[in-house]
Amino acid sequence: MNWWRYVSAMELRKILAYRSDFWITFIGQTLIQVLIARALWQSIFEANGATEMNGFTLPMMTLYFLIVPIGSKMLMGENVGFISREIYEGTFNRYLIYPLSFFQYKTLTYLTYSAFYGVQLILIYSLYNLIQSGISGEMFLNLVTGVGVFMIAAFAYCMMAMVIELISLWADNIWSLMVMARFGASFLGGGFIPINFFPEWMQSILKFLPFQYFISFPVRTVMGLVTREEMYQGIFFLVLWAGLLMLMANLIWMKGQKKYNGVGI
Amino acid sequence: MKRYLRLYLYFLQFSFSKAMEFRIDFTFRILMDIIYYAVNILLFKTLFLHTGLIGGWNEEQMMVFVSCYLLVDAINMTVFSTNMWWLPAYINKGELDYYLIRPVNPLFFLSLREFSANSFINLITAVAFFIYSLSNYTGDYNWMQLLGLLALLVNGALVYYTLHMMMIIPVFWTHSSRGFIDLFYSLGLAMERPDKIFKGWLRVVFTMIVPLTVLASFPARAFLEGFTSDVLLHITCVTVGAWGLMLFWWRRGLKNYSSASS
Repeated sequence: MNWWRYVSAMELRKILAYRSDFWITFIGQTLIQVLIARALWQSIFEANGATEMNGFTLPMMTLYFLIVPIGSKMLMGENVGFISREIYEGTFNRYLIYPLSFFQYKTLTYLTYSAFYGVQLILIYSLYNLIQSGISGEMFLNLVTGVGVFMIAAFAYCMMAMVIELISLWADNIWSLMVMARFGASFLGGGFIPINFFPEWMQSILKFLPFQYFISFPVRTVMGLVTREEMYQGIFFLVLWAGLLMLMANLIWMKGQKKYNGVGI
Repeated sequence: MKRYLRLYLYFLQFSFSKAMEFRIDFTFRILMDIIYYAVNILLFKTLFLHTGLIGGWNEEQMMVFVSCYLLVDAINMTVFSTNMWWLPAYINKGELDYYLIRPVNPLFFLSLREFSANSFINLITAVAFFIYSLSNYTGDYNWMQLLGLLALLVNGALVYYTLHMMMIIPVFWTHSSRGFIDLFYSLGLAMERPDKIFKGWLRVVFTMIVPLTVLASFPARAFLEGFTSDVLLHITCVTVGAWGLMLFWWRRGLKNYSSASS
């Protein structure tokens, strides 16, 4: 059974259904975010008269904020409401009769989005490097490894999103919870400022939370800033968090499905 | 005018009772906005651990600016945002008909019908932070400057609404708002940065073409550095231009509306 191929192909068709959206997101959004971030950091570097801050030069910072918006899209995949919307509309029923588990189906659709944005990341990052300094074998290897790490992070984030989305089996509306998770994960994960700009005490707390492995770690992998040892450690923590969150999502689902009435609100 | 005011009071009544139906959601949404405020404040607090100036402003000046854009955002979230959220769906599903046949200006109805009750609580939080940041500001200012700042921030919220609308109106042609709306949210970051960090063509873009820095950064700059005639003229031109363009664009969009769903 190649069911996963059919499901992925269907999701890809959905993403590409509105081509104008695709191009606007692909070029516009990434470009705008990187330009705004560069302007901010340029003013900080100039105010300090520095060429390097906390291990980052201005070109490195630009590169960091080029990867962050696309990487965040990979991570946050199918967007807020990918389960709760169906529970509220009562259309969740169909997953109960599909010949595959709801978890497999939803994870696959989520990761199809992530893989799609992963291709965007490869294209944009390669193009940027081609213009700046040319593409080397090492750069491409880091890029592919980083995209792979982002995919593992996307799986872990998907599990976290499922835990929150499944709360909709009890609560009226969990949209705001998902948005909170996004804000939190982006800020604490290094999506707004690289983690090593945070105070020491905060960095030591963040080591025990999954957020930096969602954004900062994969971005630094793409940039080739992690050692082999850090890479193994990071992947280990990501898999560990993914496992824990998957277990939690399963437990919530076991309890919550008894609450589901198939009517919606 | 009186009729519209009465109608708006009904909108308020309806929105508050609707918000109370979903109390958990109501609470979560308040919490969500508080986290958004906290992240924005922490972002600049963290940056000031590594620098003394950003865009020519020190930390206390920056906090005044942060409170300004949070206030603009809170006004928008309270008054317009829920309506802006639903508008593309109405256009796509052909549900705009119900609004077009009512004996009220459709733009008024579609833009103001849903008052976000939870964001109103957050508007109070934003006002509290605004007062706090001003109380920590050691520079001199008088009541006239403060009133001037408030007027410019309310104006900023209204201009934000027109810019937001201009990103939604393409739905009449494209039948999907996601790309443009995502683009607008990305552009929204420019409102949350001091205008002086933008230089060259990027400054032209964010002060004239998509004038997001005019909404909060210009008012904050006027308050912190003096209300000069060129800043006020710039804000006036942007306001008139944005409203004129939005109304023109909206009428063009309505002409293209087919009532068919997609």
